[in-house]
Order: sequence, then structure tokens, then C-alpha cells
Amino acid sequence: MAETSWLKRLLKEPLVHFLGGALLVFAFFWATGTNRDPTDYTINIDRSDIERLQANWTQNFRRPPSAEELNGLVDQEITEEIYYREALRLGLDRGDPVIRRRLFTKMRFLGNQEVNDPTNAELQKWMEGNPGKYALSSAYDLQQVYLGQIGAMAETDIAAAAEQLNNGSAKPANLSEPISLPLALKAAGTQAIARQFGERFVQALAPLKTGKWVGPIPSGFGQHLVKVDKRIPGKPAALEDVRQAVTNDWRAAQTADQEKKSLDNLRSQYEIRVAGRE
Amino acid sequence: MRKALLLATCGVALAVSGCKYVGDDPNGSGSNVENTEYPEQVFWGDTHLHTDVSVDAYGFGNRLDQETALRFARGEEVTATKGAKAKLSRPLDFLVISDHSDAMGATKAIKEAPRIALLGDEFLLRWHDMLNESDEAALQVTAELIDGAANGTLPESVTGPEAQTERTKELWEAHGEIVDEYNEPGKFTAFMGYEYTPMPGGDNLHRVVMFRDGADKATTVLPYSSQGFAGNPEKLWEHMAAYEKDTGGKMLAMPHNSNVSNGRMFEMQKYDGSPIDKAYAETRAKYEPVVEVTQIKGDSEAHPFLSPNDEFAAFGDAGWDKCNLSCTGGDTKPEQYAGSYAREALKRGLELMQTVGANPFKFGMIGSTDSHTSLATADEDNFFGKHSQNELNREDRAMQPQNLGTRRGRFGWHYLSSGYAAAWATSNSREAIFDAFQRREVYATTGPRMTVRFFGGFDFAEGDTENLVSTGYEKGVPMGGDLSGGDGEAPKFLISAMMDPESASLDRVQIVKGWVDASGKSQEEIYNVSWADAENRNIGADGKLAPVPNTVNLTKGEWDNATGAPELVTLWQDPDFDASQNAFYYVRVLEIPTPTWPVYDALKFGLTLPDDVIKVQQERAYTSPIWYTPKA
Repeated sequence: MAETSWLKRLLKEPLVHFLGGALLVFAFFWATGTNRDPTDYTINIDRSDIERLQANWTQNFRRPPSAEELNGLVDQEITEEIYYREALRLGLDRGDPVIRRRLFTKMRFLGNQEVNDPTNAELQKWMEGNPGKYALSSAYDLQQVYLGQIGAMAETDIAAAAEQLNNGSAKPANLSEPISLPLALKAAGTQAIARQFGERFVQALAPLKTGKWVGPIPSGFGQHLVKVDKRIPGKPAALEDVRQAVTNDWRAAQTADQEKKSLDNLRSQYEIRVAGRE
Repeated sequence: MRKALLLATCGVALAVSGCKYVGDDPNGSGSNVENTEYPEQVFWGDTHLHTDVSVDAYGFGNRLDQETALRFARGEEVTATKGAKAKLSRPLDFLVISDHSDAMGATKAIKEAPRIALLGDEFLLRWHDMLNESDEAALQVTAELIDGAANGTLPESVTGPEAQTERTKELWEAHGEIVDEYNEPGKFTAFMGYEYTPMPGGDNLHRVVMFRDGADKATTVLPYSSQGFAGNPEKLWEHMAAYEKDTGGKMLAMPHNSNVSNGRMFEMQKYDGSPIDKAYAETRAKYEPVVEVTQIKGDSEAHPFLSPNDEFAAFGDAGWDKCNLSCTGGDTKPEQYAGSYAREALKRGLELMQTVGANPFKFGMIGSTDSHTSLATADEDNFFGKHSQNELNREDRAMQPQNLGTRRGRFGWHYLSSGYAAAWATSNSREAIFDAFQRREVYATTGPRMTVRFFGGFDFAEGDTENLVSTGYEKGVPMGGDLSGGDGEAPKFLISAMMDPESASLDRVQIVKGWVDASGKSQEEIYNVSWADAENRNIGADGKLAPVPNTVNLTKGEWDNATGAPELVTLWQDPDFDASQNAFYYVRVLEIPTPTWPVYDALKFGLTLPDDVIKVQQERAYTSPIWYTPKA
């Protein structure tokens, strides 16, 4: 009686279902890895094997193999089968760290359920829970004048040029050294600006007051005078703008979560002792 | 399988926080991408990256999957296999994950596990022991795997396409799924691709294969593996043609590491030894419009033996020009160099144009990393190495022997922290970028992101440098294009090169010209066409431009950008033009001297580098050529 209830309890244990399922799946893969008995010394290449070989070939070349090509495929299959069986006889599948690693990977795979497609509400919640990650960066309307490489222009001349621009006695185009950079940017995000001018330039923009030519502002190319016309502050993204990224991140997190639960479940069955660890 | 792939990345995904890899563009939204009228923007990418799906990358210890590779490329911080935090200084715009089709996932798929063990008696038991022993021994196993592939001694069960079909199918579908998910038109383009990896006798004939299409089409085929035909690329092209015909999709293949092919990548005959004919030449040019000429395993643009008058030809050749990929073909003989370097191949193409009526080597040029760490890094100060055993946090990596399938001297420092692919495209989308590759409007750099424009035409005038881009498209052809006609007048070229604002200023811009002389033999000439400090630097009696000063401070890892130019722009006309001769022209841009990655390692870890380590280099860009063909 006691034995039966023990068995019953065992059969109700989710872990047993899980391991049973794992065994079944594993057995299936084992069995379908080849449909022939590895201890046997008979090799039958049957009609379905030949059809499989033909189908694989056809997928590659969009035409069936010629008789000669098919013979080659069959011979290859036979060679492979012989090696396969001999290796099993020699026990070469045991104690191999590569195979051990594959079993490890497969177990992790089995521990996870397919993650369903997330609902809008789930994504929205996820996005709001990670605000910094999906925010749109600040953007600028700005004008710039390139002054050449660092040191090419004396500081007093730079100050004078800024003054000329501010009092309207000079036009930006007339003061700029030739370079293929735009004199004005509209609603340019910080990443787009960094791409064109370098990260240093973007860093220097943050503290600038709007509406006034100031400088020198350093970039990867040298130095500039800059007038920030408008600073458009960053804001949280709308889900539609970042849906794919949010979906990818959400899914990765679900999978990670599942794996952890599954491992915790397994691990709780073990008594683990490590020398030197309390 | 999808889930299993996801699993491997989860630790990483959780570790990531505070990244702002999306939403940085306030105007960016949705998936409807607008294409500009002409290519206004250059997009940066890596077309050659391996993850833990590649049999050798896994053997090297790489445990980062494709999703992690995609996240890293678009700018997120991830944790590298060996534990260092990894982040690009700037995101890339596109990525081709190109895991090896040969034995794809051989170490990854459990159901074939017993078959994987079938590696032939001679080294199998050693492998078991060595894999258990240490990282170094595991590395040696991978070296032997490469060796075995080179020598054809791997058993069919590892390499045979049929044995792989099932595991490959699973991995390929997972690849399609993850790549489709991360492909965001307008923001980041993820291509489907793989690497076709034949190396008969250790001669590298590898190609990266890239699809214009998403998983719906691309997964109707499997990654084509080389073993069945021992590496005849004509079979690959046949496979590509069948795919295109059947699905209406598009594929292209990019040869790489010709530098370790012992002359076979660009040989003057077909794979089977028969002469090149017009059909072969046309098919090759159609399916292989672009060659990857610079990457971690060296630079394949030029070699001093072939170009004795080019004082910059030796870049990235050290170590790699000794022997083929696995050093199984003996020392590379000088006469083999011609088939191993891109400039010579472009010249050979012109010769074949005259003899068979078509040019099989009519290719544009890109760089890519061929990193096996899942991390597409090409910056000297952020180099994560060739594979997971020489990642950033390994102190002595520059001095470690790198006998990848070799028995002789290649060392860590021979690896270049190179390269990236630049594409002039009308939008950041699969279609636009793929089409840019197909029309060869692409260029190579060794890592820095300099902006290079190159147009050829007969009608350019002096003032056209003002509106260089619009005039270039209006009155000429961009890089990768064809010129013909011109009434005997020499072609003119509009060229502009702008420094990478995060890297070094520019030393010079050169035009490399190749042509076929009256005797049918190809020739080359290098013209310095624009350079920094033009008031003080002149072309000497030997035709060479005075070198730019080396300002590198090795104790600080710094240099002085004031010695170079932020931008070089010029209009150039060929002074030695003969309208009856086939010719090509491409641009080479050189940065001023900067430190190599071992210098940054030395500073970080307090190492002393031996004398033979190259410590200062001039990083560079190579554009695709513009070809001139005489009027029929």
C-alpha cells in the first residue's frame, strides 16, 4: 500500500513527467538518428533512404541526381553507416566532452516551453519597466562652422569670428573652412550627430545655451563654432517605434526566466557537496 | 531549436542594461523604409562573422550565439566568452553571420552526437584527452580539425553533406528566424548567410555567401557545403543559379583570404585545371561581384613581390605570406603570389578580358572581420581577437603562437584588427545594401570608418569638386562602375576622402591603375593624387611622395592628427592614358601612422613587445575599381 502511494506520488511529480518526456524525446532522436540497428552487421539502404538522398540533392541543385551521382551518394551513406556503427561498438560516444556539452544543451532546450507571442499589454509593460533602454535620445537644430584642425586658428580669432556671426557681420558659409560637413542640422539625434562629427562633439553640445554662436567646440576633425537653435529633449518611445527590439528583449528574458526555473527544479533534487564550500 | 539558441544568450541578455541601441533616431519608425534618390549615406557592416554554430569557433571555446552577435553588432554591451565586457565604440549598420556550412553545428547537434565522434582512429583518442586537458589542447584539436579538412582526412561522417543535412536544416532555420527578428529596415540590417569553406590541400578557397532574401526564401535551400565536390566553386555557382531561378531570390558569394590560397583563389585556370572560357568568366563575375580583401587573417590587396614599386604593399602580409591556410602545401613559392592577391587578380582579369572576352575577376572590394568570437570588432583599441582563446583579456595573446592547423610560425600579433565593409546604399535595408554589393558600390577599410567617394567620367571639370556627389552621379559612374567611350580622351576622376572622426587624419589618397599593354601583359602604376601638408611634401625624383611624419607615442598610444588632413578632395585625370587599352582604377586612402593593437595590449598589461612585432601602421581604405573598356 505504502509502495503504491509512493509510486502514485512519483507519477504526479512534474519532474518525473519532465524527465520521462526528456527520455522519450531523447529516445526518439536516438532512434531516428539512424533507423537501423547499430549492433547489426547488415546494412540495408532501402527505398526511403534513397528517396531522402535524392531529396537532399534536389534541394541543393533543383534537379535530381544522375545515376552516377546517386551511386556516389549511396556509397557515402554506407561508409558513414559503417563508421557510425564501429564507433558505437568502440564506445567512442562515451566520455566525450563535446557530446557531454551537447547533452547539456539539449537538456536546457527541453526545460523550456515555446514562448508565446507577447501581447501588446505585455510589451507595453516590459517597455515601461525598462524606460532608459528605449527612450528616444535628445535631438538638435544647430548650425556649425568648421575652423580647421585644433591649433590652426588663434583663440582671439575664434572669439572674433564668433562675434561676427553673432552680430550678423559674417555669414557661416564664408567663415567655414572647406569640409564635407553640413552647415546646418535639423532635428538631428545625438547618434546621427556622433556618426558625422564624432562623440566628442556631441558631448560638448549638452551644456551649450541656445541662440548664440560659441566656440571652439572640438570634433574628430578639429574645432568648430556652433549655434544651437533648438534642443529637442529625449522622451520615452512609443511602442510602435521600438516594437521589434522590445519583443526581442522580452522574449530573451522569458526564456532566461524559464531556464532558471527549470534548473532550480532539477537542482533541488540534488545534494551537492563541494570541498571547501560551506 | 530556436529556444536552445536563445538559451545560450540569456545570461548575456540579463546582464545588458542601459543600452540605447534603438530609438536614438527621433524620426525613425516602422518598417517602411524610404530610399533616397541616389546613395547618400555610407553604411558600415561586417559580412563575415562566426558564432558558436561554427565548428571551429566552438572548438576555440566560443560560447556566444547568433543573437548575442546581432546584439553586439547593433551596439549593445555583451559579455565575451572569456568574461570581458564587450561593446563597439559605434554600432554597425549591417551584419552577415556567416557560420561555416561544412560541418555546420557538428559540435552542436545532439542527435548526431555519436556520429560526431567518428573521426577516424588516428587522432580520435588523442582528441578526447586533449579536449579534457586544457584550453591550449582544445585549441590544438581545432587546429587539427582545420588540418584534417585541408588534408581531406576527416571522415565522411563529419564532413558529408548528407550526414549534416538534418542538423544543418535545424540550425539554418534557427538562423533565419533570429536574423529576421533582428532585421529592422532603416535601423539595422541582418542578412542571412554562411561561409562555404573548401580548402583543398590547405589552399583557402573560402567564400562568404549572402542572401538578399529573408528566411521565407532562403530556408528553401540549405547552406551549400564544399565537401561533396572537394571545393569546386562552379558547383556553388550552379547551386546559387538554381536557387535564384527557383525562388526569384538573389545570392552572392565573396571570396576571402586569397592570401593563404597558394595562388589558387585567382588562378588562370578552372578548378579542374582546364582553361578559363567565356561562360566561366561571366558566371564567376556574376556570382562573385565582391572580394573581401582585408580581415583579421591578413590583408590581400597587394604584396611587395608583385608590386615592388609600392612602398605600402606589405601591409598585413607578415606571417600570412609564408604558406597556405594550414601550411600543408609547403612554403608559398613566389610564383604562387600572383593568384593570391586582389590587385594582381584585377590585372589578370583584364588579360582574360582580352583573351576570352569576359573578365572573371571583375570584383569590388570590402573588408570584414572573420572574427570567430561572435564579436565584430575591428578597432585597434578594442580588438577581441581572432577566436575566443585570444580575446581582449588574455595578456600574452600577441606573442602566442597561432598554429591554426599549421606547424610553423604565425603569432598573435600577425592578426590584424581589420576590417569593415562600407556600402553606398539608398537605405539601410537588405535590398538596398545587397544591391550596392552587387553593383560593387562598396569599399574596404582596415577598421577606421573613413568616408570615401570615387567617381569616373569624361566630362568632369575643375569646379565639380564643389558638388562632388551630385555631379559624380550625374556626369559619371561611382566606384564599381564601367567607363567606355570618351573619344580617346583620358578619363577624369572625382575623389573625396574624409577621415573617421573617431580615428586618425589622412596621409594621402592614391589611385592604383592597372592596364594591359600592347603585348597583352598587365601592368600597374600608383599615383599620389592628393595629400596632407601639400606645401611641404613633394613627390621626389623617384616618383615617391615624402612620407608623412610618424607621431605615434608608444608609451601613451597617442598620435598627432595635425600632421594629416581631415579631408582630401581632388579631380584627377589619367596622365598616361591609352584609349585602346583595358584598364581599371581604384582608390587607396592612407591614414597617418597609428599604433597597432599589440601596443594597446602592452600599455594595458605592462608588457614589453619584442622588436619584430609591428607597432605602427597606416590604416587604409580600398575602393572598388572603375573599369575602362575601349569602344568595340
